[in-house]
Amino acid sequence: MIFSYHWLQSFFSKKLPKPEKLAEVLTMHSFETTCQYQNNLSNFFEKKGKREVLLDIDVLPNRGSDCFSHLGIAREISAVLNFPLNFSWEKSISFKEDPQLKTKDFIEVKVKSREDCLRYTGRIIFNIKVKPSPRWLREKLIACGLRPINNIVDIANYVMLEIGQPLHAFDFEKIEENKKGKKEIIVRRAKKGEKIVTLDGEEYELDENILIIADPKEPLAIAGIKGGKKAEIDEKTKTVILESANFSPTVIRQGSRHIDLKTDASWRFEHGLDPNLTELAINRAVSLIQKVAGGKIAQGLVDFYPQKIFPKKIILNLNEVEELLGAKISEKKVKDIFQRLEFKISKPAFASKSFQEKILEVEIPTFRQDLNLPEDLIEEIGRIYGFEKIPPNFPFASLIPPKRNFEVFWEGMAKDILKETGLVEVYNYSFIGEKEKNLFRFKEIIELENPTSADFKYLRPSLLPNLLKNILKNQRFFQQIKIFELGKIFRESKDKTKIEEKKMLSGAITGEAFFEVKGVVDFLFQRLGIPGVWYDQFQPTPEDTEVSLWHPTRCAEIKVDHQEIGFLGEISPNILESLKIKGKVVAFDIDFEKLSRLASEETVYQPISPYPAVIRDISILLPRKVLVEEVLNEIERNGGRLIADVDLFDIYEGEELPEGTKNLSFHIVYQDQDRPLSSEEVNEVHEKIIKAIEEKGWEVRK
Amino acid sequence: MHQVELKKIKIKAEKEIKEADSLKKLDEIFREYLGQKGILSNLTKSLSKLPKKKRASFGKEINAFKVELEMALEKKKKLLKERLEKEMMEKEWIDVTLPGKKIVPGHLHPLTQVQREVGEIFQQMGFSIVEGPEIETEWYNFDALNIPKDHPARDFWDTLYLKRPKSTLKLKILLRTHTSPVQVRFMEKNHPPLRIIVPGRVFRHEATDARHEINFHQVEGLMVDKRVSLANFRAIVEEFFLRFFNKKVKIRLRPSFFPFTEPSLEVDISCPSCDGKKKCSFCQNKGWLEVMGAGMVHPNVFKNSGLNPRDWRGFAFGMGLERLTMVKYKINDIRLFYSGDLRFLTQF
Repeated sequence: MIFSYHWLQSFFSKKLPKPEKLAEVLTMHSFETTCQYQNNLSNFFEKKGKREVLLDIDVLPNRGSDCFSHLGIAREISAVLNFPLNFSWEKSISFKEDPQLKTKDFIEVKVKSREDCLRYTGRIIFNIKVKPSPRWLREKLIACGLRPINNIVDIANYVMLEIGQPLHAFDFEKIEENKKGKKEIIVRRAKKGEKIVTLDGEEYELDENILIIADPKEPLAIAGIKGGKKAEIDEKTKTVILESANFSPTVIRQGSRHIDLKTDASWRFEHGLDPNLTELAINRAVSLIQKVAGGKIAQGLVDFYPQKIFPKKIILNLNEVEELLGAKISEKKVKDIFQRLEFKISKPAFASKSFQEKILEVEIPTFRQDLNLPEDLIEEIGRIYGFEKIPPNFPFASLIPPKRNFEVFWEGMAKDILKETGLVEVYNYSFIGEKEKNLFRFKEIIELENPTSADFKYLRPSLLPNLLKNILKNQRFFQQIKIFELGKIFRESKDKTKIEEKKMLSGAITGEAFFEVKGVVDFLFQRLGIPGVWYDQFQPTPEDTEVSLWHPTRCAEIKVDHQEIGFLGEISPNILESLKIKGKVVAFDIDFEKLSRLASEETVYQPISPYPAVIRDISILLPRKVLVEEVLNEIERNGGRLIADVDLFDIYEGEELPEGTKNLSFHIVYQDQDRPLSSEEVNEVHEKIIKAIEEKGWEVRK
Repeated sequence: MHQVELKKIKIKAEKEIKEADSLKKLDEIFREYLGQKGILSNLTKSLSKLPKKKRASFGKEINAFKVELEMALEKKKKLLKERLEKEMMEKEWIDVTLPGKKIVPGHLHPLTQVQREVGEIFQQMGFSIVEGPEIETEWYNFDALNIPKDHPARDFWDTLYLKRPKSTLKLKILLRTHTSPVQVRFMEKNHPPLRIIVPGRVFRHEATDARHEINFHQVEGLMVDKRVSLANFRAIVEEFFLRFFNKKVKIRLRPSFFPFTEPSLEVDISCPSCDGKKKCSFCQNKGWLEVMGAGMVHPNVFKNSGLNPRDWRGFAFGMGLERLTMVKYKINDIRLFYSGDLRFLTQF
């Protein structure tokens, strides 16, 4: 919020520090503050040599109740710098009431719902003259970003900027009378369908969520938010009803959101003002009106204030100050700080004498609505004293060794392993758009209630769509792209009552890379210490939503024993074409939570055999669709423990071979840990394997 | 007569050796003179024809010549070898300034790297790493943290809500706007004393620009014990920044407001780019960078976590991981982290 430096100066007889210095002091003790020099403004006012200096003060939300005003900031400055305030209500409020005119003879205020309106104060001023405001008044409004309108409206705004209480002025003549011949002001919730045209000419349709000020016939204003056109002050206005009320922060906030209208007034009410302020503000305003616009002020105040607010008392244990802040601050210093903040201090009567010494009873002025707990007072001590002065001091604590977080540990391990294979880690948004949803035909997908844009409309149900987008973007600059991501995906649970949130580990490599990706996945499982990984040809069922994502004949389920851990395969050419990705993409998509549960840090060391290995080759002609896995199983089953390794070194399909067949060639490595193998022994096992293969109907080529 | 002949042979051999320009030639010379059927061998055989008297002295001469010849050949051989080697090396000359072969390594995302660093530093100070869900209820994200409904403080966190079927809608479900809900979740299940940090992804309903993202990462910290103070917090964060930036950065504590801490603070660090000299665009000439919100745990947060606020004190803090990474590497646009752009990612 913008504050005028010169206006703030007017609260002090002592000269304030230079604006930059003041801004720094406020930043360190109250609110973050920056200086702005307004050259344009001084041109506008043709001031010579005197520039208006504005302070942009980021008032914290708990202090909206008192610091959205120059008086509030002046109080802060006074407390922080220990400068006495040259301000008193007596000085600010001086006006003459006309004893002939009694306010209560002219208006009647009816508050229908007490929770919505804590206080309603009104006054009437007769015979005023509406005209443009004097220069000093206009200058201050413009400096603070408000547009001058006329003297009455400007004074209402001025008082709001000065002391933080929003005021509203109605034209007395334009308000309907009740049966008693008095102007009647009703504070009530709007009825559904009721309409109001506000001062700026906008029409709003209202309902029960909106609190309004009405006369017996229709709405006059949206309470605490904006005035209505009906009772607007204009040049012909002679008599003014001034409203100074305290509305419930909740109702103003809800109403303001409901009709999407935020104003200087609504913003202040939302933060909860001191109900005792209404009277001071209205008296300050009539004092100024009388000075600037003349007129007769009717005697007395209409004041609806059923539950008066009194100052709170907080008991503070001085030991706790040191315990919480970790700095020794003397009782004298604490009392001094409280006095600067206008708190009243006493020793509570109830406590025993020794106990009493450490305890203060602190009375909080009602303008400090934000203070309720001893901790709140300790914060006040800390910030006025200066958090900066608190010395660093390592805690005394038991030595509890930090627990290892296994999920985080495996996450780091998996990322390192993939990095070793040459993959680059990416982070993508947790969202996908409508386009992706349709392209990948995602079903159990979570939609945002208030998305920021169509591209971020759903929570990602898979990491792959965004990885594919990464590939597209990088294809302009890189030949081969190898990327991975570890992140959370979101899906509707089967019974649609919960949202499943789980970590996935997915990656992609461009090009004819099925076996490269498979190699990466193998390496990952091996390094994570997970044995028993195998790849199962994927048999889609009709309701599988994944179907469209993968190439139907080039995709496998990654399994460990009987558990499905993820997918591996080429991305369907249709998808790639729709995304305009050139060439092929092979991806893996692994359930990271399952993976981390299986992972183990134990590496079992295999002793290196001192005895030589015997290698025999075998070449087998068999139908094309027989899986290598099957052949390997056959070899290993028959070879038993003498087989150290089987290595497929050639696959051949070609014209020389009968149609629909392929030729596989293996090195079979025979070795024993405990003794050298004789050639007879090896021959015997090798023959057994050949026999078994021939029994399967496959041809062993010799 | 034999002496004359020997002299001639000597001269010839010397000449031949001198003129020899290859190892092959040298070999031929060797065979010509010293081979089994070579000149010297023949000379030796002819000794028998000599008178006994001369035989001995001439034999000595032949032997001396033999040694001499062998030495000369050896010397020449060495010379030739050296020359050959030199020629070969010359042929194998390479331009050492040619570029090296490109290695294509993998890379970890800068946020992963910085998160690890942060995690390691805090683990060394006895903090455990804890995680929490990204989808939260309004209770954990707001109410439990002393942020009541219809309170202006909620405006601090522009929230993304999730669409849910009416029947399941007891509590509003949202994407957590900060990692602070994990404070409550953790304290509900773990009795103090405790020290944790919580890294994680958080979300805001915000238009993206160079400084704002719809999702980003925070690291939350929480220490609860019988006696914990702001002075303790200050020591811990100063140590953290010292280790993180590997140099003494000044820190500054100033007042702030968070509903879940009281007192609340903002932590600024002196700009590591200009060392707080207020002379760089990175800190917009302020000399300070705002990097962390913090404070002493609010009594209501203890209550909402099932702990008695009279028994425990604690400090909590939260910082943006992207912000920290941007400060560390002087990155000026937060969107780069989520661009998937390999030209950016392969620099780390």
